[in-house]
Amino acid sequence: MSRLQRWYADFRANMQNAHKVLGMNRRNLNYIYPSNERKYFEYANNKLLTKSVLTADGLRVPETYLTISFFYELGELEEKLHQHSSFVIKPASGSGGNGIIVVSDFGEEGWVSVSGKPLALADIKKHIADIIFGVYSFGLHDTAIIEERILQHPFISILSPQGLADIRVITYKGHNVKAMLRIATIASDGRANLHQGGVGVAIDLVEGRTYAAQMSGENITSHPDTGASLLDVQLPEWEQLMALSEEASRVIPLGYLGIDIALSESGPVILEVNARPGIEIQNISGEGLRAGLQKIDHRMGS
Amino acid sequence: MLKGLLVPKSIYKLTLFVLILTTFLLMSYKLFILDYELADLIPTVGYDVEVNMQVSGHGDSMSLYTYLPVSTAHQTISDERNAPDVFTTQITVDGLNRLVSWKAPSVSGSHIVRYSYFVQAEHVVYDIDRNISISDNLPDYLQVYLGEDEGIQVNDPLIEQTITELFGNTVPDTYEALYTIHHYLQDEFQNRNFSGYTDALTALKLKEASCNGKSRLFVALARKLGLPARLVGGLILNQGSKKTSHQWVEVYVRGHWIPFDTINNYFAEIPKNYLRLYYDDKVLFKHTTNINFQYMFHITKKLVPRKEMGEAMYASPLNAYNLYKIFESIGISQNLLKIILMIPIGALVIVIFRNVIGLETFGTFLPALIASAARDTGLMWGLIGFMGIILLSALIRKFLDYLQLLHSPKMAIMLTVVVIAMLLTTTIAVQTSYLALAHISLFPIAILAITAERFAIIQEEIGFRKAMRISFFTMIVIAAAYAVMSSLFMQSLFIAFPELLFFLIVLNLWLGKWVGMRLSEFIRFRKLIFKGRA
Repeated sequence: MSRLQRWYADFRANMQNAHKVLGMNRRNLNYIYPSNERKYFEYANNKLLTKSVLTADGLRVPETYLTISFFYELGELEEKLHQHSSFVIKPASGSGGNGIIVVSDFGEEGWVSVSGKPLALADIKKHIADIIFGVYSFGLHDTAIIEERILQHPFISILSPQGLADIRVITYKGHNVKAMLRIATIASDGRANLHQGGVGVAIDLVEGRTYAAQMSGENITSHPDTGASLLDVQLPEWEQLMALSEEASRVIPLGYLGIDIALSESGPVILEVNARPGIEIQNISGEGLRAGLQKIDHRMGS
Repeated sequence: MLKGLLVPKSIYKLTLFVLILTTFLLMSYKLFILDYELADLIPTVGYDVEVNMQVSGHGDSMSLYTYLPVSTAHQTISDERNAPDVFTTQITVDGLNRLVSWKAPSVSGSHIVRYSYFVQAEHVVYDIDRNISISDNLPDYLQVYLGEDEGIQVNDPLIEQTITELFGNTVPDTYEALYTIHHYLQDEFQNRNFSGYTDALTALKLKEASCNGKSRLFVALARKLGLPARLVGGLILNQGSKKTSHQWVEVYVRGHWIPFDTINNYFAEIPKNYLRLYYDDKVLFKHTTNINFQYMFHITKKLVPRKEMGEAMYASPLNAYNLYKIFESIGISQNLLKIILMIPIGALVIVIFRNVIGLETFGTFLPALIASAARDTGLMWGLIGFMGIILLSALIRKFLDYLQLLHSPKMAIMLTVVVIAMLLTTTIAVQTSYLALAHISLFPIAILAITAERFAIIQEEIGFRKAMRISFFTMIVIAAAYAVMSSLFMQSLFIAFPELLFFLIVLNLWLGKWVGMRLSEFIRFRKLIFKGRA
């Protein structure tokens, strides 16, 4: 083979590789728009609605302690919060994990956030006011949710001691397509967010074993903070988790979803669902999404 | 499912077909029936003229007067702007002229009055029929153009003697008379570069003069022969700054005032860089005494789309130029119209950058709006202004965050800060004569405030580098949109064929169905793609 021929063969192969990757344009046009009707976006965007639909079907979500939509409700806040020693405050319509505060303890000085920062009642009220005002939801009026803080499965805590890890499952037409584990690090400030220095770990969908990991676009094999190996780890309760995400994707009337699940001490819990899941999971798993999606379309005969 | 997909698909195709056909038909109609010339799409030269008058007074009342040009067959005046400083402006019609006055009851200190306009003029050559005899049957209103005026001593014996020298005892016809006078002054008189006043007789005696002396002598000789003639004052438009105005002559021949300039040898001809400011023997600037007065003309050459194209064509409602006259009649200039017409093109550029190339930008159409505002500031100042405002507002936001304010009042403060920053920039720019930068106040203020907020949020949540990266991409897209939007060819094309907007919709419809990988995604997923054969 001449050099030119070899170059051309490589070029052809690369183009075929590119064809397996799901780009933004195709994700939007071929998957999100046809499968996710806009009128049903609320089921993903409004976490209260998501929770109520899932709970109605007996699927596990963090227990809601309290919701606050109006300022006058802030008056009784202190009293109601004191019934719980730990809780999470989040905007009902927030995205990307913004506006979430995790309160882990009530000590002598008052409440303490999960990162050890003391939180005065005024701080909490200000944060809730911000949420209501729409700071985390494009300036639209919003509701603050105060809910159960999920305590992580001890096995996951070893992998993600810096914060709550979650498992992102991409589902299409009621089937699981791909999954990854997102781990919080010191660099990501305790948040399991890939854009902010969290670690993404590829999981084999059938076995529930990890096989690759990435941080900020670089392949890694062990946790950057603890050194714990991230590869070839068998995740616990994988079957229940897969069943839960499939069940959830059938209950929510959106065909193409990213379902975020945490593994608690007592099994998997659905944290939230996303109607526009990102495409970075392909880099984490080292494999494009298109083959999996096409297989489901093929099986369903459309 | 199948049914659901098929129907929109055929409607999609039908829409494409109808839009393409409409564009094609309208363009063909114009090209073949209305005789649009594609050559007319090549831009022509126009001039931005700014009169800059600097005065200083000591508390007394003050008035300034000058003449403003009028649109004629030769010249088109548009986009007039007045920056009167402390003065009150009044524009009056003074015979054939447009006289502007700036008055103030009490002026102290130094002030600058600016008046600017855009000139697009034509080179006009008149063809004077031979053998037209000099008419002695002229309407009454022309009689004033035959008599003696101050400095134009028609009845002086010396003028009569010159006529005899030039023509003997024969009575010349109109053409011969004008030709002879023109070449007498052009060939036998020295041009003097002297800005003072010269009357007709002095010029004749010295056999040398500047433009005003030669013109007065021309008028005197023409009038002596019975040809109505008048002086014209104006400006020769060349890129740069100048104080010197120019005078030339017009002679009435069978219903037309024909121009002559014996300094630069234009016989029955006026070039496209001659701007007519006033008729008759006037002084261009007048002002109250005891003040310090200085003036300067700043002239900037600009390429612009041809305006006159199609004006003489059918009064078809499909003739784009008739359409623009409607806009002009309510004060929307062609310049503004161009800006509006170019915004969809800017939007297309942005769509390509976002969906095909995959650059993340602030706001979907912010870059197009900044690019169209940058028409007035220039690209460099546009970009600097954009970045300056974003960084300043992001800084202010940091401070407001520190104060812990609620969201909406915080945004209102940022908006206010953007407005203040723009006002300050404009004021400073005017003071320091960076006039281009002064137009920064054309920036879309609210969108900038929102952009600054987005910048701050991204900077906070993902980091300063990411926010700067998006800003950098935004600037690239602004520059690209600017390049396309300020292309004169594009402007001319869309002014002549606004139906191309339908074609832009077609392109967007096509891009709206394009599922290919964005260029940036080849980089993002390079590990998945550029691994060669598995």
